[in-house]
Amino acid sequence: MKIKITIILLAFAALIFSNLYAANLHPKVNYINLYNNQINLHLKSIKTSDVFALIEKQSNKKFIYISNEPFLEKRISIDVTNQSLEDVLIIIKNILPIDFKIVKNKILVKTIKANIKKSNQEKRTIKGTVVDDTNMPAIGANVFVEELKIGTITDFDGKFKITIPTSVKKLIVTYLGYKRKEILLGSNSTLNIKLEINSSQLDEVVVTGQGASVSKKRLSNHVETIKAVDLEKIPAQRIDQLLSTKLPNAQINLTGGQSGATSIIRARGINSAFLSSTPIFYIDGVRMDNLNTTSTLGGGSSQGAAISSIADIPMDNIERIEYINGGAATTLYGSDAANGVIQIFTKKGSREGFQISVSSIAGVVTPTTDFLYFKHTKDLLFKSGSYQKYNLSISGGNDNGFGYSFSGNYLNNKGVQIHNNNANEKLDFSTGFRAKIGDKVTYKSSFIYVNNSFKRNRNGNQGGYTGLWFTESGASLRNGFNNRLDDLTPEEFEAIKTYVDKAEELQDNQINVNRFTTSQSFSYRPFNGFEAKFTGGIDFRVQDDQTIQTNEYLTHTTQRNVQGEGSIDNVTRKYFGITLELNLQHKFKTGSFSFISTLGSQLFRNKDHQIQFKGSNIRDGAQTINGAAIKTSNEYLSEVLNYGIYIQENIGYKDRLFLDLGVRGDKNPSFGDNIGTQYYPKIGMSWIASSEPWFTKKSIINSLRFRSNYGLAGNLPPAFVNERTIDFDGFREGQVAFFGQPGNADLKPEKTTTYEFGIDISLWKNRVQFSAGYYNANTKDALFYVPPTPSSGFSTSQLYNVGEIENKGWEISTNLVPIQTNNTTLALNISVNTLKNLVVNSGGIAPFNINGFSSRTIQTVVEEGYPIGYIRGNLGKFDNNGILTSTTAQSYLGTTIPNLYGNIGLNLNYKQLTFFANANYQKGAYANSFDQQFRFLYGASDDIVPQAEVDANGTSNWLNFTNLFTEKTDFLKIRTIGLNYNLIPKNKNSIKSISIGLTVNNPLNFTSSSFDPEATISGSATGQGGASTGGISYATYSAPRQFLTSLKFNF
Amino acid sequence: MKRTYIYISLLFLIITSCVENPNVTEDVFFDTYNPSSSWVNGLKRQLALTMNQVVINSEMTSDNYFNNYTLYSKVFDKPEIVFTDLDVNRTQVEIGVLREMAEYAIETVLPKDSEAVDSDWSYAYFSKAYALILAGENFIGLPDETNGIVLSSKELLLKSLSYLDLAIEYEPDISTQKVYELLKARVYRSLGDTVNAKLYASKIIGETELLFNVYFDGTNGVINEMQNATFTASENRFAPLPRLDFLDPKYYDEGTAVSDQKPIALVKAEEAYLILAEALTTENKITEAKTILKNLITDVIENRPIAYIDDSRELRNGSNRDDYPKTAVNIRFDNTKPYLPDYVLDRQSGKIKIHTISGTKVTTSDINNITTLDEGLYLIYRLRQEIFISEGRRSADLGIKFPVSETEQQNNPNISDKFTQALIPNFIPLNFELDNFLVDSKTGNITILHDMNSVLVANKTSEYVLPFN
Repeated sequence: MKIKITIILLAFAALIFSNLYAANLHPKVNYINLYNNQINLHLKSIKTSDVFALIEKQSNKKFIYISNEPFLEKRISIDVTNQSLEDVLIIIKNILPIDFKIVKNKILVKTIKANIKKSNQEKRTIKGTVVDDTNMPAIGANVFVEELKIGTITDFDGKFKITIPTSVKKLIVTYLGYKRKEILLGSNSTLNIKLEINSSQLDEVVVTGQGASVSKKRLSNHVETIKAVDLEKIPAQRIDQLLSTKLPNAQINLTGGQSGATSIIRARGINSAFLSSTPIFYIDGVRMDNLNTTSTLGGGSSQGAAISSIADIPMDNIERIEYINGGAATTLYGSDAANGVIQIFTKKGSREGFQISVSSIAGVVTPTTDFLYFKHTKDLLFKSGSYQKYNLSISGGNDNGFGYSFSGNYLNNKGVQIHNNNANEKLDFSTGFRAKIGDKVTYKSSFIYVNNSFKRNRNGNQGGYTGLWFTESGASLRNGFNNRLDDLTPEEFEAIKTYVDKAEELQDNQINVNRFTTSQSFSYRPFNGFEAKFTGGIDFRVQDDQTIQTNEYLTHTTQRNVQGEGSIDNVTRKYFGITLELNLQHKFKTGSFSFISTLGSQLFRNKDHQIQFKGSNIRDGAQTINGAAIKTSNEYLSEVLNYGIYIQENIGYKDRLFLDLGVRGDKNPSFGDNIGTQYYPKIGMSWIASSEPWFTKKSIINSLRFRSNYGLAGNLPPAFVNERTIDFDGFREGQVAFFGQPGNADLKPEKTTTYEFGIDISLWKNRVQFSAGYYNANTKDALFYVPPTPSSGFSTSQLYNVGEIENKGWEISTNLVPIQTNNTTLALNISVNTLKNLVVNSGGIAPFNINGFSSRTIQTVVEEGYPIGYIRGNLGKFDNNGILTSTTAQSYLGTTIPNLYGNIGLNLNYKQLTFFANANYQKGAYANSFDQQFRFLYGASDDIVPQAEVDANGTSNWLNFTNLFTEKTDFLKIRTIGLNYNLIPKNKNSIKSISIGLTVNNPLNFTSSSFDPEATISGSATGQGGASTGGISYATYSAPRQFLTSLKFNF
Repeated sequence: MKRTYIYISLLFLIITSCVENPNVTEDVFFDTYNPSSSWVNGLKRQLALTMNQVVINSEMTSDNYFNNYTLYSKVFDKPEIVFTDLDVNRTQVEIGVLREMAEYAIETVLPKDSEAVDSDWSYAYFSKAYALILAGENFIGLPDETNGIVLSSKELLLKSLSYLDLAIEYEPDISTQKVYELLKARVYRSLGDTVNAKLYASKIIGETELLFNVYFDGTNGVINEMQNATFTASENRFAPLPRLDFLDPKYYDEGTAVSDQKPIALVKAEEAYLILAEALTTENKITEAKTILKNLITDVIENRPIAYIDDSRELRNGSNRDDYPKTAVNIRFDNTKPYLPDYVLDRQSGKIKIHTISGTKVTTSDINNITTLDEGLYLIYRLRQEIFISEGRRSADLGIKFPVSETEQQNNPNISDKFTQALIPNFIPLNFELDNFLVDSKTGNITILHDMNSVLVANKTSEYVLPFN
């Protein structure tokens, strides 16, 4: 089988290469006459007379000229593909002092006198304004001359200025989401250009999933594109928060309100039981650290919880984001793309000249108290804090392909916890450059530096004093307080407030992230239709995580005199990733067929290096372990190396039927010895039915497309787990050796096979856009950590490809524009996604937990016949009096995966005023509130458990009816409500525009559960570390509310 | 130019295209000098890890301690032991690791290492024997090789004897040889072999200081979990039956806990006296047994070290009950017996006295008062309970045995369902009654619900307990 695939691959490669080779076969007589009498010339330093001869062959027209004219001996270079004869002659006119006239089958050549030629070489400046369909300025639209490859970008007012040779007759305007417009130039040098909305955005060009640029209509899958203008409107603190309302078919939930909290991102369910469902992130083609998981080495303030590496991706210099959600769309990304790909493209400059904008966001953050059980908890743990963010953006460029952009940001968020225990300070700089090197090479680069530092409060898993556990879970009883916080006398309240205040003050948990990312790319276009692109870059992220526990803190929180137990625990986690990618793309057309051939290779190498250094018995006040009586350290290293080659052929027929074929082969040292190259094939079809001749143009349907595909994508096993090892440690001053991991020579990536079909339809002048699709994704070689057989002598679980996981569902999204007048536009968007997740086969291994505590308390578990990460705990049954009669241990208490979710959004424009709101919802999932369970145990509440049971057994059965503390977690959360106003001053000499905004983040929550369904300990260190579905709410902070004003000046 | 691009690309590829496993594979290990020394040290570490599992679970499952916190098992206190329980599996895993590591030492590491010495061989044989002993004492049966058939508790114990003989043969240190001989006495006792138990126990009488410890190393993450549960952790994890309050904690730390991890006695002279006395009592040689028991008190226990520690932060009460006595109240062993003082300590009134190896409230006069066989057995089992507290022996004395775990059954075709049921003799009270006690609301005095030593003697003919009967 493997040999066959290799042969097919080679044949495929040969086809593409022969295609490319043919184009370059005859360097001297370098032409191919293809079709429609269009001219193809790829000539370098050829005599003009020879050029004429070649054109004659392709055009069936003969040049008429005086044979001793000196220009005939001049050598010229020309590079055109599929150009009309007229266009080719214009190009030659620009090179030589001659003019042409076409008469029937002859081309008359005339020498121009010096003064006339001079005027031909003169340039003219065209100015203009580009507006969208609502007459709003089209900011950042491309205005360019195609044949000369020069262009500019419109500014904040939609204005542009471009200087071009007077011979140029045509300008092209493109703008994301709008139809490409060709403007024929006359004598008028001031243009007003209005763009039309693109039908279904199918002509939009995307890169993600394709290696190089391809228009959406040629693809058999959805690619979500988010424009800069959409990103800039919402003042979000992190990119996943921002994307949560922008991606119609993905669900993004932040699992807590603390800075650095991880998010659960799932698009097509959970296809892995060992790896988080976070997609891979690229910035300008370079893979980013997306270690959305717990650190392998414990300790530090992230102890027991994961810290997100997505939280520190800068957001202020982004041009657009593309997202594909797995399946065939991600096949070209190979072995670890089963969860989808998010690709971020940064800005690389703007229109001619120099633009600057400064902005500030300021406001107040307040705690979300909706889910607090005791009103007094707010008084004990929370306060309102200030939020400030400042941005400086500079950009510019010129007509010759040079561009630059710079963005610098400073954020200071004091957070909502007393003593600023969750304050966040972030500083980031990003730059982007583009430049043309000669005629054929374009260079682009970006540099990003981020410093993100934040405080972390102790989370529920850390043991000892935890603010929320102490208050909301009733644990204050243990320290002798009345734990019914709302029944406290003023004196009792004062006493507990003093205690909590000091406990919070004495905490010292700090995380500091430094991140540097760069992407460098060279694009080489030796002739029209062919592009070779090399992209290389690195992402280097260092996370320093420090927890200081002083004797004073321990004395206070344990209420005993603690001496000599002060400690500092540091964990440094360094991620270093290199990405190298070479991509060749060739586009060509013959007759009714068009071909886009892509061949590429990618190499990435990720290194995760963790170092823990800890000092115990340390004096209070010390900030380093230098003075510790005992110092211990530990180290963890993991390196992933993956190399892949991909080939893709996209075939179009009459620009309405497209076939998309591709395969990627990956090799990786983390595969077992018995495992060779892993292949990921795909096949897809896209049919634009509305482009068929029989399709009536008068229909209310503007465009109609059917698409379907089949493809594979993978998830990589971690590095080195395939090998059988001996582990070492120290013990009583000697070295010890013992069994490490058992190893697995058959270890390979888990592969998710997806088939999908869908329809995209655009109605009523594109005011209704509807997209629906069904997918079935099956992960057959799912990697499960198989617990060791006790008699084997191994104590470490080993990964085996034994599981099978299925996800299937519908993805539906609609955009509606019910109102569209000159001044007013109302746009609505809604998405509906269904999901059915099932562990079809667990390969006979015992159910295992991916999250939670011990098997007798509460866990989220993977078990055959159930959804991944269902809640398992003790199920209690009660008699008619309400007394517990039986307990069934380890019972199914509900799934943590919703069966319905989506986004709702509204956008209302009135002249320069914009109102927007958006929300997320989910239905069908459950979660357990361990806070409630503790509250019952500690006698802090009387609800939930029948009084008769309390009278009979007290709280001794607290763990025997966990079902009582498990609730449905349906929710509708309004994420953002905002208002924006653009003020355009009459005198634009100094300030071109001012943008004023008011935004409320997380204003409203409607939930079926009494607790926050999102505030779950997804990153808990318990369980397997990676895969996480949430489901247990315990001592976790909810995301705070933010009331923010913004002011932006464009100069 | 093109060539330069190619060279640069190749350079990139070379730089980035190799990763080396930072871990040591088996082949690499055997190429290094004297792997035996590290492997035998590894056995010592594994013994500590195995003992942590056994001790915690045994103490909790028995009447010695109850779990007053959410960590550790929530059901062993009942006792409820099901084969799906991860704690059952974990105990089995730790015993399995010790056995397989010993086996790997005997079959692979030591034969390949010319530097291996006799004491290495001896320790490997001992480790294998001890893994079998722990399996036999605490499980109804276990496989003794990867995916092997289940050997019954008795078969496991019998098998351990041959390894103990090999350990004795290779052991250069005489005192350690005696330790292994005492272990043989322990095994023969468990097998109900009075003759051999007496034979090997007698060899140790007079070796009053004999002690073989399992050591821990906090700085390398191998803490004494029992020390943590009964002393170090700021939460009140384990609380003893109030009748045993005076023996808690056995292990404590001063200064930084990680650097002061106390060892647990694995084999100690006391056991020889107890085995011999039990055998003699069963043979109705009460007077001889009394002499041995008095010698145990005067010659051995009274010479064991004691320490005075500040345990004022011990608050006792936690998640499970909040009426544990915190002052020096009187207790009754059950409601038929008189109230006695000094069993519950007031930990707030200065330092308390603790016994780091062995302690008991049984006195020589108690022993003198023995007149019947049952009285003798009662005192012997009380002594066993008090002397071995926090050493993970009590649940075996109560006849409780763990089942083969679900994970083993799922991966090993040799496990039939009959081995997946725990053994909890029918005289063991359930529903947390093993650890239960009543508090007199007026005086605060305590009545223990069940005196399990009386229960044991009353059920001495049961095949699961008192093996000599």
